[in-house]
Order: sequence, then C-alpha cells, then structure tokens
Amino acid sequence: MDLSYIALLMPSLLRGLGQTLWLFALTLIFSLPLGLVFTLGSISKIPPLRWLSRLYIWVFRGTPLMLQLFFIYYGLPFLGVAFDRTTSAVVTFVLNYAAYFAEIYRAGIQSIDRGQHEAAKTLGFTPWQTMRLIILPQTISRVIPPVCNETITLVKDTALVTAIGVGELLKAAEGAVNRDMDITAYILVALIYLALTFVLTVVYERLEKRFSRHQKKEA
Amino acid sequence: MAILTVENLTKRYGGFEALKGVSLSMDRGETVAIIGSSGSGKSTLLRCINTLERVSGGRIEIDGEVLVDTINGQVKYPPEKELRRICMKTSMVFQQFNLFPHLTCLENITIAPIKILGQNRADAIAKADRLLRLVGMESKADSFPSMLSGGQQQRVAIARALAVDPQLMLFDEPTSALDPELTAEVISVIAKLAQQDMTMLIVTHEMEFARTVADRVLFFEDGEIIAGGTAAEFFENQQNERIRRFLNGFQK
Repeated sequence: MDLSYIALLMPSLLRGLGQTLWLFALTLIFSLPLGLVFTLGSISKIPPLRWLSRLYIWVFRGTPLMLQLFFIYYGLPFLGVAFDRTTSAVVTFVLNYAAYFAEIYRAGIQSIDRGQHEAAKTLGFTPWQTMRLIILPQTISRVIPPVCNETITLVKDTALVTAIGVGELLKAAEGAVNRDMDITAYILVALIYLALTFVLTVVYERLEKRFSRHQKKEA
Repeated sequence: MAILTVENLTKRYGGFEALKGVSLSMDRGETVAIIGSSGSGKSTLLRCINTLERVSGGRIEIDGEVLVDTINGQVKYPPEKELRRICMKTSMVFQQFNLFPHLTCLENITIAPIKILGQNRADAIAKADRLLRLVGMESKADSFPSMLSGGQQQRVAIARALAVDPQLMLFDEPTSALDPELTAEVISVIAKLAQQDMTMLIVTHEMEFARTVADRVLFFEDGEIIAGGTAAEFFENQQNERIRRFLNGFQK
C-alpha cells in the first residue's frame, strides 16, 4: 500500500467522516429523548395517546429506513413541506431511531419489579413521581446495552443517506475507488467504521459501569 | 377512637372471592397480628387498606376519614388526590422489602419526606438518622441495598416506612423471606415499635412473634376472620379445634 496515495485520499475521507459524525450526533441528540416521549405515550393510561404512540412505533420500525428517507425527501414536498437533503436525512433518522429507542425504553421500564411501584405508591408517590424518581433511574442501567447496540447500527446506517445524495464517509470512499480503480479507500473506511464502533463500545461500557454502581456487592 | 375501621369488606378476583365480608376495628397504639393459612386473604386485606387493591364492596375508614364506602352496591372511592392523602396515614412493609436499589439506605428513607412531604433536606436526614438508629442500621446509611443481608434490608424498609409519619403501619409477612436468624433481628425491631405504642397491623406466620408482640390476634380462613381475641386467650386457651390444629402445626 502506498502511503502517499493514502495521504491523498485522507482529506476527502475526513470530510466524509465529518458529515457522517454530524448526522450521527444530531440523530442521537434528538432521538434519545424523543424515544422517551413515545415510550411514555405507549404505556400511557390515555387511550388515544397510547394508540398514536404505538402506531408511530409500528410504522417507523415496520418500514425500511431507506423508504422513509425517500418519503421525507421526495414525498413531503407534495404536501408542501420541503427540507433540503441534509435536513431530510436528519429528520428521517431522528424519527426512525426514536421508534427503536422507544421500544428499548419500554422493555426496560416494564422489566422493573412491580414491588417498586407498590413501595412508591404506599409512600405517597403519584404515578408520575414514581416513574421519574424510582422507575426511570433504574431503567437507565438496564437499557444501556441495547441502546449501545442500536447506536452501533446507527453508525453504519448513516451510509444510507447517499440514496438522497447526501455526502458521507462511504460515499467519499466510493468516489475514490471508482476514480482510481483501487480499493484502498474501502479498506480505510472499514478501519474508520471499526474505530468509531470501538470508541462507542468503550464509552458505553464506562456508562454502564457508572450507572450500575449500586448493584456492586461488597466483597 | 378507632384508627382503622373495616366493615364487611369483600374482594373478588373474577370468580374467586378472596375476602368474604371482613370486619375489624383497631385502636390507636394497638398491635394486631393476622394469622392463617396461605391464600386465606390476609395480605389482600392489607392491600385493600392501602389501595394497592381496589375493594369489591364494604367500607374502610382510616383515622375517621372514609377511604372507601359502598352505597347501594356501588363502591365509592374519593378522588385520586384525596385518596392518596388518606392512604398516606398508613405505611407498608413488604415481604420482599422492595427497597429502591438505586438509592442508598439513607436516600431510601429520605426520598419520600423530601419529595412527597416537602420536608427540608436537613430535617429529613436528621430524622432518617434517628430512624436508622432505631432499627440498628446507622452504620449502613450510605450503603446500597444490594450490599445488605435480607434482615438488614427489611430493617431499613421499616425505617423507610416510618419516615412518612404513618398513623398505622401495615406489615405484610415481614419475615417470610428471611432465615430464622435474620427473622429474629427484624422481629426485635417490630417489638420495639410495639413498646413505643406504634399502631401496627401485621400479617405473619411467626406464631411466637404474634404471641409475644401482638395485643390481639385475628385468625383468617377462606377470606373470613373466623376467630380472634387477645394474644393470651387466643394462644393459651384456644377452643376451636381447627385453629388448635393450625397452631400445633407450628410448634417445633
């Protein structure tokens, strides 16, 4: 492998990486909390809220992410809402990932022992206080592994946005490979994706440890 | 004045009648033990008193306030907020402790006083310290529940239940999940509360505990109270053959 060729590729790959990370970060920042909104909706005692949340989750988990990209970028303009390519990509990813996170949170919340709800109730907690002060804090450590899993999928899913013409890491490599008839760029992006997922794994391991301090037994 | 009055309480789960018209009354400062076979409705009674279960019929009054009443066959509860206020006159200790695992012992005890009763932090902590000493757990204030034995967890759970200043403590088989040694330490804490004239309604399978700590004993069978009396009469001079057999089953 030729080092000077790699040096030549790097600027465009790094630009692609920047776009990928930008999409990744925005998606996480908005979808993590939005997911919780749909979780609370889907377990709400108010039927219309529950139905709407569950319908939402069903639609966004039940159709391909690529199709959702097409709908939002090519379809919404017919309804008078037009986003540029990047905004369309971010909106689609946020909506899609919020649905997945919502289900992860729901499973976490429902795995908490019923005795916790009962104890809180006998101490005078309202259902919302119970959720906020007792149930959600315990849910965090349980949902970190599945959220981590989903986040790693997100890193790789970002490659889909080329379908609506948004530049990103894989697209940058593809350009170089086609131009130079050399797969070095593919190898480089593979390494970059691996580095990203490695960093994520480490970060989540730390978080998991931090949030499950209380589960440690004394020796 | 009675702190608790239960009249003709019924509870059905589908076709199963867990409580078939239970009536009882408790005075302030009394310790009442409820004994009887598993599945006889003892725990259900406690859970109806603090609305973990909704009754199918009957009337419950706590400290002179109506928790639930049945008028012309219609069960009537006050609005949610009012109901919560009345229920907070009671507090419960569970068989499985149900401490909050993400909080330290101290935080388990202070969370309700601070977040629910709106007490200031310093007062709540001072009080929690007192309660921890009462249950002999002051050295574990900053430990998490997972670091404690079952008996220690239950003692902290008792402190937590006391922290909201209940007028009536409900104990739902507080020692059933504990081995004999740990049972003893929990029982001695409850006995201490009895001496301080805490009002307590205790579901238990510990006959010796019922005999020594309770002022009165109620015997449950098939969703009904079929006998009751002072602890002395009940254990020493039991006329009912069925109950004698039940009690003998425990002697060993």
